[in-house]
Amino acid sequence: MMFQEWIVLMATRGGFPRLTAANCRPTSPYDDGYNCIAWAAGDTERWWWPDAQFQAYWPPGVPRETTIEAFVAAYRLSGYVLRSDPTFELGIRKVSIYALDGRPTHAARQLRDGWWASKVGRDIDVEHTFEALDGPTYGRSITVLASASP
Amino acid sequence: MTLASAQRCPSALPRGTGPSWAGGRVLSASVAGFSTQAVRLDRTLAEVAGHYASPASRQPDRRRERFDTLASQWRDETRFLSSTTDIAMHPAYQGIIGMGADALPYILEDLRTNSGHWFWALKAISNDDPVPPRDRGNIRRMTDAWLRWGEAKGLFHP
Repeated sequence: MMFQEWIVLMATRGGFPRLTAANCRPTSPYDDGYNCIAWAAGDTERWWWPDAQFQAYWPPGVPRETTIEAFVAAYRLSGYVLRSDPTFELGIRKVSIYALDGRPTHAARQLRDGWWASKVGRDIDVEHTFEALDGPTYGRSITVLASASP
Repeated sequence: MTLASAQRCPSALPRGTGPSWAGGRVLSASVAGFSTQAVRLDRTLAEVAGHYASPASRQPDRRRERFDTLASQWRDETRFLSSTTDIAMHPAYQGIIGMGADALPYILEDLRTNSGHWFWALKAISNDDPVPPRDRGNIRRMTDAWLRWGEAKGLFHP
């Protein structure tokens, strides 16, 4: 599937009405071995999620529940703290947590050019503007976390 | 050939003049004038003929069709989701779990061919889990563990 077709699919059937070829670019092929939550934490080997069946990875010691607090706690283990400002700051890494109806759905991490990198479910990795993935599937970014760059 | 002999030995009817063995009636003549037993025999033999004309090996596997339909729907509608819970709670995925043990060979085959997050369904159906805790979330290792499990159970032949 060409990227342009993928954009159309995402925008029409995927629940990402803001997505266009101008605010999103592909960076890697389909890979169902990891998800956005892992990707934002720098892990491309595992699928992270606090599911009740214990099928996905979830950091030990973090409450296994689908709440913003639990997701913040998971990223806190990687050195992140709450920060409301999504704009790029030199020397600061940032992760954005998306939620729909108060439940986390997605996470993205900021790039050096101010755009954000996301793994889209089981699908591809993309880079996008801050609000490009807003919509009925992921909701919108409601929490930004920051950490000093290593 | 008499109707009486056709009743006794329908296969003796000349080709093209008597029964249609692909599910048709054994006696081509009207049932008017035949005894109840003859009509019943006619119907029974027609069913037998239909059965042999379309053996199970040539009939479409409804379970397979159902699995393929549900799996395709599930894959399309959850490809952008990260939530393991939402992925597994999708109605099509739950429909596959509802197929019970019949679905296991199809799931394992799909797991090998297309990868996919079938672990929740496999665990729910089999009430088993061969994945060691240290490999939770590692899709490749989880896949390997379940394929080995399926092979050991005789449900899957790599």
